[in-house]
Amino acid sequence: MRWQYVGNIIGILVIFIGVVMLVPLACSLFYDDGSQMAIVLSMGCAVCAGLFLFLVSRRSGIEYISPREGIAIVALGWTAIGFFGALPFYFGDAVPCFTDAMFESVSGFTTTGSSVFTNIEGVSKSLLFWRSFIQWLGGMGIIVLSLAILPFLGVGGMQLFKAEVPSPVPDKLTPRLSDSAKILWYVYALISLLQVLFLMGGGMGLYDALCHAFTTMPTGGFSTRNASVAHFDSAYFDFVFVLFMVLAGINFSLHYQLLRGRTLIFWRDSECRFFLLMCLGLTVVVTLDLYGNVYGSLGSAFRYASFQIVSIVTTTGYATADYELWPGLSQLIIFICMFIGASAGSTGGGMKCARLMVCFKYCYRELFTLIHPRSVAQVKINDAVVPDHVLKSIMGFLGLYLLLFAVCSAILSAMGVDMLTSLGAVASCIGNIGPGFGTVGPVDNFAHIPMLGKWLLLWCMLLGRLEIYTMIILLVPEFWKK
Amino acid sequence: MKIIIVGAGEVGYHIASRLAFENKDVVVIDKSVDAIRRVTENLDVQGITASGSSPEILEKAGIRQAEILLAVTNSDEANLVACLMADMLSPATRTLARIRNAHYDQYHGAFKTAPPHINTVINPEIEVVKTIYRLMKIPAAVDMGELVEGRVKFVGLRLDERSPMAGVRLKDFASMFGQTRPLIAAVVRRQELIIPRGEHRLEVGDLVYFICENDRLKETVALFDKTIIPLRRVMIVGGGRIGERLAKCLEAECIHTKIIESDLERCQALSEAMAKTVVLHGDGSDQNLLLEENVGDVDVLVALTNDEETNILVSLLAKNLGAGTTITKVSKFSYIPLMSTIGLQKVVSPRLSAISSILHDVRKGKILSAISVLGEEAEMIEAIALETSAITGRPLKKISFPKGAILVSIIREDTIMIPSGNSVVEPGDRIIIFARRQVVHKLEKMLTVKLEFF
Repeated sequence: MRWQYVGNIIGILVIFIGVVMLVPLACSLFYDDGSQMAIVLSMGCAVCAGLFLFLVSRRSGIEYISPREGIAIVALGWTAIGFFGALPFYFGDAVPCFTDAMFESVSGFTTTGSSVFTNIEGVSKSLLFWRSFIQWLGGMGIIVLSLAILPFLGVGGMQLFKAEVPSPVPDKLTPRLSDSAKILWYVYALISLLQVLFLMGGGMGLYDALCHAFTTMPTGGFSTRNASVAHFDSAYFDFVFVLFMVLAGINFSLHYQLLRGRTLIFWRDSECRFFLLMCLGLTVVVTLDLYGNVYGSLGSAFRYASFQIVSIVTTTGYATADYELWPGLSQLIIFICMFIGASAGSTGGGMKCARLMVCFKYCYRELFTLIHPRSVAQVKINDAVVPDHVLKSIMGFLGLYLLLFAVCSAILSAMGVDMLTSLGAVASCIGNIGPGFGTVGPVDNFAHIPMLGKWLLLWCMLLGRLEIYTMIILLVPEFWKK
Repeated sequence: MKIIIVGAGEVGYHIASRLAFENKDVVVIDKSVDAIRRVTENLDVQGITASGSSPEILEKAGIRQAEILLAVTNSDEANLVACLMADMLSPATRTLARIRNAHYDQYHGAFKTAPPHINTVINPEIEVVKTIYRLMKIPAAVDMGELVEGRVKFVGLRLDERSPMAGVRLKDFASMFGQTRPLIAAVVRRQELIIPRGEHRLEVGDLVYFICENDRLKETVALFDKTIIPLRRVMIVGGGRIGERLAKCLEAECIHTKIIESDLERCQALSEAMAKTVVLHGDGSDQNLLLEENVGDVDVLVALTNDEETNILVSLLAKNLGAGTTITKVSKFSYIPLMSTIGLQKVVSPRLSAISSILHDVRKGKILSAISVLGEEAEMIEAIALETSAITGRPLKKISFPKGAILVSIIREDTIMIPSGNSVVEPGDRIIIFARRQVVHKLEKMLTVKLEFF
């Protein structure tokens, strides 16, 4: 492994994070909220550290990045970005200790949306803006963004792209990676803009509309309000949020195809159809469960059920109702939703619908071959055969996902956290969702988790965002051997 | 510029890698999942796992927007059908097919005018036979190519201690050797490619690439203390398509030729096709057979079987038994740099030759010919200087050439000039440039239009 390559590219990423801090700085100067110094200081730190790393490891043109280097760059790069993104919270005195700042920052970049802020509305406007903005950056991916705007990364970009977006159905939109990355970001920015307009149309201020669009599209879930979306308490806003959360949970290459005139693509694509039908089906079940029990009218039962199901299944994590007060069946469905996740190629987390579909179809094929031992059957998605190596990697992924969930929640409960909270917190962090169960539910926050537990959870968030393999591989001794 | 490549074998992969490196939009189609996986994992290209001769798939790959379609699968028929479909769907797309069957040789031109309208048909085997033939002529030459319709040769020779050039600085060449001095384009020293300047000295053991006119070849080679001797006896191991072609070519020149082939049926077919050539049935790596057939007396042994390892061993064995020189066919690119260390200097590769002719075709218009040198490390490029290009109308010292490229010579009408800092390239001149792979695309841009035009 050539560490100078790794250091060099991480240096560029850190400088980049320093530069984008100009955005909250502008916000801070506009509102004059007293966080200017903290942001300038963080910018200075990030740019200096990045430049230092960049210059120390200067090299003469990268020709080829090996898969191992690609993984190291992405895994360590995301950790470094989380660290420097935390500085504004730390210097701005928004949190009592650095652990909390780092937790908030990683929760932002990985689009988890779990917060340690006990009083969100007490934090300065520019820091809240930064909190939303980093979710927006992290949503489509920092590496994808740098591939789109930094052409010199293009040569070894494929390895980086694969490490950051290890989608089970690899489809490049165009022959060249940098063009694909640009398209993804254009589509992403376009839908975000649309949401801002919708929110402002309903009477939301520009600041709140921006902050919420920045956290809906990446399926992040940070809100500028203590009560999350429930603060606005309007059916129109709920509807707009549900719509855009669903859009964010759909593969972005399908959005691109829709824009190019293929109107029925959402229905033609089997994963997307599965995702939409599942959202609808679960919403109906939960609505019926809530009707009469919690809400008197079918309308409001549907409104809250659909919002909560979509919010969890897309791994956004906004709240309009405290689902912990709901009946057992609804709570269990929400818990299962935490694992399902959104579509592959979307900004959502979790296991992803595509993987589950492949898993179901694989299981069915196994049963089928028991009945017809000599049959030749293949697993197909969208009429294309899923190659054997993809099949194996998906099975491995699902196994590893559940194993890590079990191990991490056991470790968390060993730190003195109760069982329900441990299970909920880890499921929520690994799936990049936000709220969990128990004492980290939709109306609570993560401030009371012990310090070591917070580090464990923020590692889980990175694990989930980079889809397990990229992050866990750093723990394998073989990876570090020459 | 969008390019579709059908076939992700060794040739397809390497062309894709070169073109992706030059920032072209490349789509590769192949039936094999593993081949597509290798391409998409290592290169910045789009891969489609399907048959490239299917019109549906070509449509999906974007044939209508594609500028060029390269059909380079192993099957001639698949390549032809792919080009036919491409012609049907998008007549504007330029097509190129690799067709190796000798039966098509006479009809390469006809493909252009009649359907499937293939713009270029390449058969690397014809090129390889030509290269082998040229290499035979100068026993010492390691590499050899032709430029300007064969009027100029470029030759790679190993410098040994007997040559008067060893240890001489390049800038003293003019005073020492006068007009016959070779135009040195590049030097390979310890596996490393150097583009020499005036201050450099040549060392014993260097592989020197130079350019010279056809008529002066003999004198120039004499400077290396090497001679051009007439060929008398040749032994070919491996009677495949290339072996047969080569034997026929040698037969026409009345050179005594023997072919060793291990397949009896193939031997019979060969003996039917040949008039004077001796066809031997046996294993080329069998020492007794080689001794029986007097391998020690042959001028050249050519190892052309389909198995690279056998070719290498046969060549080593023949050298050991006293053959004059050996020429070895090697297709695996990773072996090529190793060859000189194990003492096999002359290597030919049909794949490499296919790649260089295809690349030449892709760049058509600006560049007349391009020859890959040293595996794929560098290229010798021949081009016409256009009036609009940045290279004309100014003394060379005022032109900023990309680092790693050198203008080797200027050809104006019939004279070949060695450029100096004060030389001016005039529009219409032919120029020969030696360039490292990394700067080829920069050079390409430079040769087309001046930056101000954009």
